[in-house]
Amino acid sequence: MASVRSGTRREDHKAFWAFSLPAFILYLFVFGFPIVLSAVISLSNYKGGQMFGGEPWAITGFKQYGLLFSDPAFWLALKNNIYIVLISVFGQLPLGFVFAYLIYRKVVKFGEFWQGILYVPAIISVIVLGIMWKFIFASNGLLADLFNYGNTSKLVAALNLALNSGTTLNDEGIRHILKAMDPNVVGLLGSDPVAGFKEQLLPGGSLAIGDPAAFVNAMKNYAPKWTPEFMTKQDTAMIPIMFVTLWCWTGMYVILFNANMQKIDSEVIEAARIDGATEMQTARHIVLPALSGILINAAILCIAGSMNQFALIWAMTEGGPMNVTEVLSIYMYRTATIGQNYPLSNAIAMVIIVISFLLIGLTKLAQKRLGGQE
Amino acid sequence: MSNTAIDKERSFGTSLVGKIAAIVGKIVAYAVMGAFAFMAVFPILWLIMNSFKSNQDYQLDKIGWPKEWFPINYAGAWQIGDFGILLPNSVFYTVVGTAGVVLISTLAGFAFAKLKSRASVPMYGSFVIGVMLSLSSLMIPLFLQLSQLDLLLGNLWTSMGLMTDPRAFHLFYNTRFGVILVYIGSGLPLAIYMITEYIRGIPTSLVEAARIDGASYWKIFARIILPMCMPIITTVAIITLPGIWNEFALINIIVGKLDLQSLPLGILRFSGSRSADYGKQFAALVIGLAPMLIFYIAFQKQITKGVSGGAVKG
Repeated sequence: MASVRSGTRREDHKAFWAFSLPAFILYLFVFGFPIVLSAVISLSNYKGGQMFGGEPWAITGFKQYGLLFSDPAFWLALKNNIYIVLISVFGQLPLGFVFAYLIYRKVVKFGEFWQGILYVPAIISVIVLGIMWKFIFASNGLLADLFNYGNTSKLVAALNLALNSGTTLNDEGIRHILKAMDPNVVGLLGSDPVAGFKEQLLPGGSLAIGDPAAFVNAMKNYAPKWTPEFMTKQDTAMIPIMFVTLWCWTGMYVILFNANMQKIDSEVIEAARIDGATEMQTARHIVLPALSGILINAAILCIAGSMNQFALIWAMTEGGPMNVTEVLSIYMYRTATIGQNYPLSNAIAMVIIVISFLLIGLTKLAQKRLGGQE
Repeated sequence: MSNTAIDKERSFGTSLVGKIAAIVGKIVAYAVMGAFAFMAVFPILWLIMNSFKSNQDYQLDKIGWPKEWFPINYAGAWQIGDFGILLPNSVFYTVVGTAGVVLISTLAGFAFAKLKSRASVPMYGSFVIGVMLSLSSLMIPLFLQLSQLDLLLGNLWTSMGLMTDPRAFHLFYNTRFGVILVYIGSGLPLAIYMITEYIRGIPTSLVEAARIDGASYWKIFARIILPMCMPIITTVAIITLPGIWNEFALINIIVGKLDLQSLPLGILRFSGSRSADYGKQFAALVIGLAPMLIFYIAFQKQITKGVSGGAVKG
């Protein structure tokens, strides 16, 4: 019996390796070796080119980390990363929880429909979505048009009234039009705006207008205008990115939380409701504690994802303007591709990994402190 | 949980004021939910609508319906954007990558869940840690590793007289093979975690009984484990697939030539310099989002199930 057993054990062993090795080798190839390589290069003076048998390079110690920590660009990128982590953990998760609760408790009907809609952005390439939002937030984009819609229609109304379906304008009509125009533009028309209007804005300076529709269309540009400068101003450029981050992934947590709420014993909640607990109280005292483990896991994945965000920001701003929207991964990419500084770039990679695990550890610690369950 | 807090407001909950509060609460709930749902899909619908506008039409009016419909934008975008190359590439990476992730993960999941070895716990643990790692932070070392391996092999072949230029050799960097390796590797941790946990739920007695009947482990895997794993395999495949389809950071650095590029790379390049025509730009974006939108509509149930399983990364 014993010999059969040991024979089986050996076979077990062989089978274990046969089944697990393909995965493990690939895992080492794409995760394991690159981490080691990254650590080594971050401590070296490797300048690119052939690594083995090329120009010699050597381990030079922690010099790169010193350079990194004294580089303001690093701290800016780290700050932006922290912003992304914060909006994710304290934006996506609470919002996701609220929506999941509304659906779970059937406070709103057709829960599956809402949940399905909220998830749509999460399935689409962030490259597509990033470019789309760039068009929306652009200084001449959708947002600007939505905000300026009222002013534009006021001007169009004044134009149509003045033209009165004819092709000529009188001074009275021009005065009405001037009132609905952007004061800055009117200022450019000189001391006598009516004369200036005739001279500069009427085709050929004549009062007769060839094509009234085309004239009205061209005049739309002179309505009072608000120009969104989020993407171009340095101190606001992170706002659209944070907004899109929140917009994109909240739906995922709605699904996750709702699915786990379904596992709560519904009798407990019914009993609490019969006892007179409000929805708020039920959410706080019954559902939230029951979901604490899931919330922590979600927070961990949220942090890991946020620390590695790259594509969305790359599509929206490429880290600009003037690198103010750079996160660590973009800073790392720029250092390697434009700067050709591989040691520094790899030091950044190491720092990203260390910070990710620090934040995850902190989350676990918070969980223990708050006494949440596994 | 404090019962006193609930008791205190018990009378409040049943009073008339409470009822009014409940109704107001409901209205607010619908308003907030409606607003967010609108926000979630309106920009995408807006994008689709504007993809049918002419360049001029868009610049004059970004809100209204197209004055004249320009489906020709799509033909233009398709041609300028090289979508005839990008789309088949994306399909190839996604199908082969997803199949690879699922197959290799199921094999490993079987080993970790049912086969005894001292290496099992640390190996499985390393994959679980990997769930929290994202390959995009390793894109630079990964790029160095792949390109240096090619150089190393190229030099080896050259010294053996098989090649003349060591730099011309490409196995990992700038190859389909390299992309597939990276994509399978990056999908493994989460897939192995989900599949191992699932196989642990399959009674070990089934495996043991088959062993006593003299079945080999390969047979057990093919005849018992694999068929029983179909639900989790479907779930894993369905959440891996969009991840590979939409992946950008890695392929951006491990692939240089157009022939190997995927959709996200092509779309970004398109928006950069290829066309100043807004209508065509929007058409290109719609071509980029349509496959996943259709995929979502077709498999919404399974996708929702996959996300529910805690398979989140964002």
